[in-house]
Amino acid sequence: MTGMRKRVTVGFLSIVCLLFFSGMVSFLELSHLSRDTGEILKANKRNIELAKEMLDAAHEQNIALIKLSVFGDRSCDSLCRASMERLENTLLVAQNEALEKSFLDSLAFATTELRLLTDNYLAFGGVGNPVAAPAAPNRADSLGSRWYSDEYQVLYGRLTAAIKSYMTSTQSSLVPRAEQMKKNAYRAVTPVLISLAVMIAIVLMLFYFMSIYCVTPIERMNKGLGDWIAFRVPFAVKGDFKDEVLDLKEKIETLINLSKQNKA
Amino acid sequence: MRVDVVLRYVGVVMLFIAMFMLLSAGISYLSGMDSAFYPLLLSSLLTALLGAFPLIFVEKREQITNKEGFCIVVGAWLVACVVSMFPYLIWGGEFSLVNAWFESVSGLTTTGSTILNDVEALPRGLQFWRMSSTWIGGMGVVMFALVVLPSMGRSKMMLSNVELSTMAKDNYRYRSQIIVQILLVVYVGLTILSTVMLKMAGMNWFDSLCHAMSACATSGFSTKNASVAYFNSPMIDTILIFTMATAGIHFGLIYATVTGKRNNIFRSEVTRWYLGMLLAGGVLIAVSLYAADLYPTLTASFRYAMFQFVSVVTTTGFATADSNTWTSFAVILLIFGSIVCACAGSTAGGIKINRLVLAGKMMRTRLRQQQHPNAIIRIKLDGVIQENEALHAVMIFIVTYLMFILAGTVFGTVLGVDLTTSFTGSVASMGNVGPGFGEVGSMDNFSAMPTAFKFSNSLLMLLGRLEIFGLIQIFFIKWWK
Repeated sequence: MTGMRKRVTVGFLSIVCLLFFSGMVSFLELSHLSRDTGEILKANKRNIELAKEMLDAAHEQNIALIKLSVFGDRSCDSLCRASMERLENTLLVAQNEALEKSFLDSLAFATTELRLLTDNYLAFGGVGNPVAAPAAPNRADSLGSRWYSDEYQVLYGRLTAAIKSYMTSTQSSLVPRAEQMKKNAYRAVTPVLISLAVMIAIVLMLFYFMSIYCVTPIERMNKGLGDWIAFRVPFAVKGDFKDEVLDLKEKIETLINLSKQNKA
Repeated sequence: MRVDVVLRYVGVVMLFIAMFMLLSAGISYLSGMDSAFYPLLLSSLLTALLGAFPLIFVEKREQITNKEGFCIVVGAWLVACVVSMFPYLIWGGEFSLVNAWFESVSGLTTTGSTILNDVEALPRGLQFWRMSSTWIGGMGVVMFALVVLPSMGRSKMMLSNVELSTMAKDNYRYRSQIIVQILLVVYVGLTILSTVMLKMAGMNWFDSLCHAMSACATSGFSTKNASVAYFNSPMIDTILIFTMATAGIHFGLIYATVTGKRNNIFRSEVTRWYLGMLLAGGVLIAVSLYAADLYPTLTASFRYAMFQFVSVVTTTGFATADSNTWTSFAVILLIFGSIVCACAGSTAGGIKINRLVLAGKMMRTRLRQQQHPNAIIRIKLDGVIQENEALHAVMIFIVTYLMFILAGTVFGTVLGVDLTTSFTGSVASMGNVGPGFGEVGSMDNFSAMPTAFKFSNSLLMLLGRLEIFGLIQIFFIKWWK
């Protein structure tokens, strides 16, 4: 491949390369954007699921403890332990999955507090303060109700507040994530805009070069040849000729000279 | 005029800039592929493509006309400013379109003003690109490309004649081709020397290279928000004073001095004026600051005063103190320094002390002429008789320069910028100094300025860098016969 064809091919290949690169960068940045969006939605959904699970477990334990402490229903003992275990397991899962662990600190603390209180209560047969009621377990007495309202309910309130706070924690991390997404969106668009501007400049240059090196010389040669055929005006075309266009001009001149010799 | 030839040479300059972008991408890669890697790589590819395209079609031409030379130089500067924006724009952050344009023009014209509130937040690759752009601009984008890229024969001489300050040619006793080589040797040599000295004074390699590039280009870009004040080291201050002051001297004279030639710094009248002004200014400001009780000792006053005055006169713009808080006398001297600036043939901008010396001599001659109307009095500079045409050109330049400052100030006040900020901002931009006073002081930046003010100042920077007529000429190219 030589001459004009080579130049035009390289010119068009440059434009193709430009399109390819800008496309690749935009694709890369858009992938980041898509991934970030997916991650935000996924994290949000998972957060709500875990918080719901924890709230259910806490609620279940609350019901079990009311039955145990106020109504003296001993069968709720195991349910109370099971729901506490469920709460702790869910918390463990949340701690493992969380990107920002600081949101879970207060929740873990509230869970531990509640765990200690209920373990203590259950260990001494349903009496909140073992010193106050040492041996005879009477879960339906007023002591149990007092323990529930004075001690348990405070910690239960604290725990549910911590779970709710955890549930909304993903909303707090939305700001930096949205900021990142904004940046990615900007980065996805800017290279394309710049590439477009560069491409416009290259296309204009290509048009200009094609015009001065190809179109204009051919037009001039055409006119020169026409003038020679019609009026025998000497074929003397001026301009910037190169490659195949120069060859063509030289061949036309040779042909005209041959024609002149034949006539002579 | 052959537009294709102009495009070819502008393309060569673009390739040169692309090379530096790629180098910055390399720095970014070495810094653990920071966030500037892709913006720099992509910008480099785009610039290289833009530069290489005309080279595919247009063949090398040995001869170029004066008119084409002007178009190549101005075109290269303008296109260089546009492509230098690419890494900033793609990276994002604080760079909006106008901010990126301002930063790009400020870098290439070696002004050193910034719109960044947090320079330290920039990744290393982008920091290096800022310094590279200013380093390229220090010697002149076209000149640098000419000397580094393969030989361009006689066209090299033509282009160097266009880009080099008219006042700078006097001290060169060489052919144009050798002049550009001398410039490169002195420039690169001073940068290397300064880098090593700064490293020895306690900076890390990256900071020392960046500050050396900035000081040699008399730009003032720093890698720290607090500029050189961050390091708080008398040794670093001293090294930078030496580098800035040297970069403000005619490079041909530095070369002649180093190589033991007769035409050296010590014999140059202009250099004597320049060094005398630096010393006198520094001492006067120091005394003023000490008298006002701004610094506890005279030594401390001298340290800060000297640094700030040398920084302003050489159009660098580094800062070790907030000069906004200094005495009115010190501020006036600093503004005077921002207008006069350093020697022609250096990397500094401004009116240049050569013109001021000539203007002073013209005034003296005028007085003597009035006393002796028939006397024929010649004006000499460094023993060379100055032609009347050259003297007129000096006066026209000074008047036009001051008129543009006035225009910039008026425009700023129209936009609601206060007078001090508007005036000193215009002086600093026109002289490629960087910091002014008021809201654009040595410890502030242009980020809070109105968009139109940023744009008008970037135009002043270009006008100052191309010595006004170089840029204006391009608008009247059609009528140029």
